Amino acid sequence: MMENAWIIPLFPLVSFFILLVVGKRMKEASAYVGMAATLLSFIGAVAVFAERLNEPTYQVKQVWFTIGNMNITAGFEINPLNALMLVVVSLVSFLVHMYSKGYMHGDERFSVFYAYLGLFTFAMLGLVISANLLQTYIFWELVGLGSFLLIGFYFYKEEAKAAAKKAFIMTRIGDVGLLIGMILLFWQTGSFQYDDIFAAVKAGSVSETMITLSAILIFIGAVGKSGQFPLHTWLPDAMEGPTPVSALIHAATMVAAGVYLVASLFPLYEASEPAMLTVAVVGGFTAIFAASIGLVQTDIKRVLAYSTVSQLGYMMLALGSGGYVAGIFHLTTHAFFKALLFLAAGSVIHAVHTQDIEKMGGLWRKMPLTAPLFLIGTLAISGVPLLSGFFSKDEILVAAWTNGHVILFWLAVVAAFFTAFYMFRLFFLVFGGDMRGDAHDVHESPTVMTMPMIVLGVLAVVAGYINTPWFGTFLGDFLTGETNVHEEAPAWIMVVATAVSLAGIFLAWLMYGKKSLSRDWLSSRAPLTYNVLFNKYYVDEFYTITVGYATKVLSLFLQYVDRFIVEGLAGLIASLTKAIGTLGSRWQNGQVQMYGAAMFIGLTILVVILAFTGGYL
Amino acid sequence: MNDTYFLSLLVFSPLLGIILLAFVPKTQEQTIKLLGFLATLPSLILALFAFGQYLRGYDLSRLAEKHAWIHFGKFSFLSESTFTVDYELNVDGFALVMIVLTALLATLAAVASIHIKKEWKGYFMLFLLLEIGMLGVFAAGNLVLFFIFFEVTLVPMFFLIGKWGYFEKEKAAYSYLLYNGIGSAILLLVILILFARTGTSNIAVLQELLRDPQGAVQMIAPISNDLRYGLFIALLVAFGVKLPIVPLHSWMLRVHVQAPPSIVMLHSGVLLKIGAFGLIRFGMGLFPEQFQRFATLIAILGVVNLLYGAFLAFVQEDFKMVLAYSSISHMGIVLIGLGALNEAGIQGAIFQVVSHGLISALLFLLVSIMYERVHTTMLDHLGGLAKAMPLVSGFLLAGAMASLGLPGMSGFISEFTAFLGLFKAKPAIAAVGTLGIIMTAVYLLRAVLNMTYGTAKRGVIEAADIRTVELVPVLILLGCIIFIGVYPHILAQPLEATIQTMMNGLGG
Repeated sequence: MMENAWIIPLFPLVSFFILLVVGKRMKEASAYVGMAATLLSFIGAVAVFAERLNEPTYQVKQVWFTIGNMNITAGFEINPLNALMLVVVSLVSFLVHMYSKGYMHGDERFSVFYAYLGLFTFAMLGLVISANLLQTYIFWELVGLGSFLLIGFYFYKEEAKAAAKKAFIMTRIGDVGLLIGMILLFWQTGSFQYDDIFAAVKAGSVSETMITLSAILIFIGAVGKSGQFPLHTWLPDAMEGPTPVSALIHAATMVAAGVYLVASLFPLYEASEPAMLTVAVVGGFTAIFAASIGLVQTDIKRVLAYSTVSQLGYMMLALGSGGYVAGIFHLTTHAFFKALLFLAAGSVIHAVHTQDIEKMGGLWRKMPLTAPLFLIGTLAISGVPLLSGFFSKDEILVAAWTNGHVILFWLAVVAAFFTAFYMFRLFFLVFGGDMRGDAHDVHESPTVMTMPMIVLGVLAVVAGYINTPWFGTFLGDFLTGETNVHEEAPAWIMVVATAVSLAGIFLAWLMYGKKSLSRDWLSSRAPLTYNVLFNKYYVDEFYTITVGYATKVLSLFLQYVDRFIVEGLAGLIASLTKAIGTLGSRWQNGQVQMYGAAMFIGLTILVVILAFTGGYL
Repeated sequence: MNDTYFLSLLVFSPLLGIILLAFVPKTQEQTIKLLGFLATLPSLILALFAFGQYLRGYDLSRLAEKHAWIHFGKFSFLSESTFTVDYELNVDGFALVMIVLTALLATLAAVASIHIKKEWKGYFMLFLLLEIGMLGVFAAGNLVLFFIFFEVTLVPMFFLIGKWGYFEKEKAAYSYLLYNGIGSAILLLVILILFARTGTSNIAVLQELLRDPQGAVQMIAPISNDLRYGLFIALLVAFGVKLPIVPLHSWMLRVHVQAPPSIVMLHSGVLLKIGAFGLIRFGMGLFPEQFQRFATLIAILGVVNLLYGAFLAFVQEDFKMVLAYSSISHMGIVLIGLGALNEAGIQGAIFQVVSHGLISALLFLLVSIMYERVHTTMLDHLGGLAKAMPLVSGFLLAGAMASLGLPGMSGFISEFTAFLGLFKAKPAIAAVGTLGIIMTAVYLLRAVLNMTYGTAKRGVIEAADIRTVELVPVLILLGCIIFIGVYPHILAQPLEATIQTMMNGLGG
């Protein structure tokens, strides 16, 4: 199956074209086309994964086009990371396709939604089997297109329009970094192929400065896509898209592409100390930065969005600390539990028709399936022992500690505390207490929506066991191709992680569950801090008054240049022509003396030129 | 050389349409439109046939035509061919690609001309004359013929803008004539000097004479190094008006806004490209040494074009103005590629010429379709078009995506290749230029989303979606754009030989 792995992304592409052409007539039956396509992809992905378990990496490349005597190749590669990503992406995509059938029911543009989902899934699957940087870049941009289209799915809403535009532009800023980094590497190594680049780096034929420069430039691309600080602002706004989209694109798959990219280029990063440090610091900072914003948000999807940003920061921190396996491990578990959380949140929104958690409450009994599933996701992300998030987060903390990033380690611990707190704040506000809004005829979502959530719920519990210090490091062995002796990590790290997680949960319970602590504890005691957090550190405002205005002012300035200087030049040429014309016509006055004088002057000029140049210039 | 008339047939076949049109009463709208459209087909079929044959390995030099035409005096002491201007047509891969592009866009623009409201007879006769001029420019084998065809495009364009355009059409037409007239005058001067000094205007012969130091002996009179620089700069200005290079662009803004969209398809799609074609063929081909000395300047001019156009497009209120500045910006990529002076750069520049031709034609075709329904292109007056016209809106978005260089479409391949080249040659200039990649996304999304997304404005809600006769050309253009984006080899292959020749000229 590995040699035919290129077919896997094509199923959703076919679905995209079919739905684009005949979707309107198929109405809601479109869902079956999309589901069938992704199911086929998933089956293919599992087959490839199973085959790759026992076989070496498979790679194909072909000449795509030529520039002079340089060949630009295209192909695909099935290495452990790619095989794993194929399974994760196609599985989540299939579940989201299924879920959307219920969630999008009755929407006027139902088939368009499924078409876009197909386009996105195609691009994402293509991305994770790319064997070279150029191809990665191509699919990288195409997933961005899918994301853009789906964020702006409710195109008539001004917010959705603004969010879609913002997402496209913010990620494009990062993409330019990736583009430059990629081109620099090409001229250094003569190839876009990953293995050629690694070989050149290993052989030392690329200077250290160049490695660092291109690695950091490429990382800028990852920062944009994975919503890392300072390009994170688009991701929370992207929640304007339909909730299944948030689950698929803005939680489980596309936003993890940045992490995947750094992981794919890991040998490049390992060759540069400063690049690794940059990745770790940006990741660590983003983890705590976003978590702190998540503490006070009141929109259910935005809390989850900041949580995603924060968790992606964790993954970057892991990679930057040399924890290759830890980063990918967390990527995998996060994909499951965060998709679960978003789908559960979607189920809640579907039932109460609001995203404001202040208007929810008391849903535990009314939604007997969604509520426990949301709880599972919450426990998993909070790092409660024995669930998937616990193991992967522990790995990251261990990586940060053993790598000597003491400050980053403690930042990550605090972020873990924040995570547990804001997630349980969310849980208690939505499911605990009494209904605060006006939605009273709340009922559980249909089976087609709860089924995918149950699958993800199971995975959120058990996915951690593919890589544990107790039962074996299967994932690590598979990814690195060798039997890992689990590093002798200080046992106290696990204890600390568990302690902060439980402390966060306990505090949330005190404030929002038992209510023995006042809810407005922070807003009343430190209003300034609260406001800063609530307004997301004013980053958006800062961009508006700096980059936003600068662009506008420069453009308007150029507008004046264009209107007055360039047009003035045009006017000058026109009047010059006119003046010469007037002058010439004045000489044509019918007097022989004047003609004689003109002839004489003309002849003189010619003679002078002849005398000076000898006839030829 | 031999008796093939293939290229003549290709270039002059629209003439048949002009003659037939002359006999149709001018009130028969449908007949005229149909005839106008049919008259563009022979060229297209012949061009595609030649292209297909070339891809299969046909030797294009066998298509060359040469017939004695004009003699200037008797110079028996010199060789037979001195001071003669022959009627010679020939093509290489690059020219053939341009001819295919021209013929294709002419046919599609003829379809888009269904939106023309008056005096169809005159319109189509001028239209077909314009097509002859454009095809001839690319097939001309010597400078005199090139110049004649070049001028043939000028006259019909003047009338097409001035008569069938929008509100300020006369001003636009005169502005067009003034700038291009000056450009032509400079070009003529260069051609005359070259002809006087060398005794020939044949492009291939000139190329050899100018390059080869021995060639100086065969010239009627030597061309000093200073003069070469002078001629090169003159060419740069002459074609810089056409391309256009900032600050010589103000005429083309008016044409973009005032001319009928079907004519802008050809103007932006083909006529601007003559500037690029001339710059490559004559600037780089005849004066490689001078070109090399000016490469840095050209790259900088390219970045200036790219950014200047992009920033200005960001604050325009009229969608046609956005597209006009966008054309300026995209022509910057051509200069960026040429300034790189390596294979990647030149290939990127030529790719961009073709790709932008297709993309801007698509966008103006959509403008035509949209204007027909909502009677405005002002961004403020539009909004929420996607509700009433989902297909038109979808295509507009696709066009914008192509224009901003989304991978999988032709714009990406050309932009990427041009930047790839410049990053090798002049990384610092290229790094500044990448700002343009971001700005392109910013201004295009601003403009297109303003029109199609958001709440629907009054007067927009009832507008009908695209008709089949409009749909077909849109799909053809989009198909070409995506095909090149996915399979760039279709362009890389025919250009290979031309680029190799260019590189040899540059001594690389």
